[in-house]
Amino acid sequence: MKVFIDPPNSLVLFDIVERFGHEPLSAMAAIQEKIDNLEIDMPPMNMTLDDVVRGLKYAGVEVPSGIRGRLAMWGPMIEEADAAIIMDDAPYSFGCVGCERSNEMLKYLIKKRNIPILHVVYPSDEEDAKNFVISAKEFLEGLSK
Amino acid sequence: MSEERETRLLMISPNSMLTPDQLVRSIHAMNKEVKVKETCYGCLVEGRRDIVKEVLCQVRKKYTNEVFSKRRAYPAGDPRRCRAQHGTRPGYCQLEAEWALLSNVQYGLECADRGETVEQTPVKGPFSVRDFKRICEE
Repeated sequence: MKVFIDPPNSLVLFDIVERFGHEPLSAMAAIQEKIDNLEIDMPPMNMTLDDVVRGLKYAGVEVPSGIRGRLAMWGPMIEEADAAIIMDDAPYSFGCVGCERSNEMLKYLIKKRNIPILHVVYPSDEEDAKNFVISAKEFLEGLSK
Repeated sequence: MSEERETRLLMISPNSMLTPDQLVRSIHAMNKEVKVKETCYGCLVEGRRDIVKEVLCQVRKKYTNEVFSKRRAYPAGDPRRCRAQHGTRPGYCQLEAEWALLSNVQYGLECADRGETVEQTPVKGPFSVRDFKRICEE
């Protein structure tokens, strides 16, 4: 199954999802599409007009362009996802840095899809990490059934 | 082309005794058609998607909870990202932040392998007005 990870560029989440037999939907795959097929100068910083138009599906025209740009990339992945894992309480600098509004919008879009969602706590110590890994394992194994 | 090329980033957990050099040598020893680039945190593996998956499978089998991996969008040594050619490295801070987490995650994976279960932590409800008033009055 396709599992969307939030933050979408997280190594830890990507690895865990793949380790337990599912396909992670990540920012890296979306950026690679642009690098290989479109040959844009430096994605994700540069984008095409189509991306901007696509972003309008997820965020209104009055929303800052940065949020719309991010959602243009992540929105199609959320639509494709069969499940999602969201990391809560991560430090500000963890993930695709800097925009809390994008993150909130992202969580809203995931919630709106009505797919199975697992909220995990940022593994800042061993106990949290243990709970994080075991709950992710149970969630991902449950998806296969 | 995206279906063909896959670049993988392999990162070694700080708790592991494995070095990037040993990891690269063991991947070379697999004799697969992949490009391997040693880095400070582990290595980059690039090649056809199915071959890279095979390499990753073997690495996971050999170093079960010590090596973590994710896809990388840019090819290895891309001038827009490679430090040797003064490329920017916007993902590096994220990698550093996750590297610090890996020893905890490694511990978590080992617990999961042993079949341990999650300890249910009591859910904190909203703070009641009565308690808040009591604290204010004290």
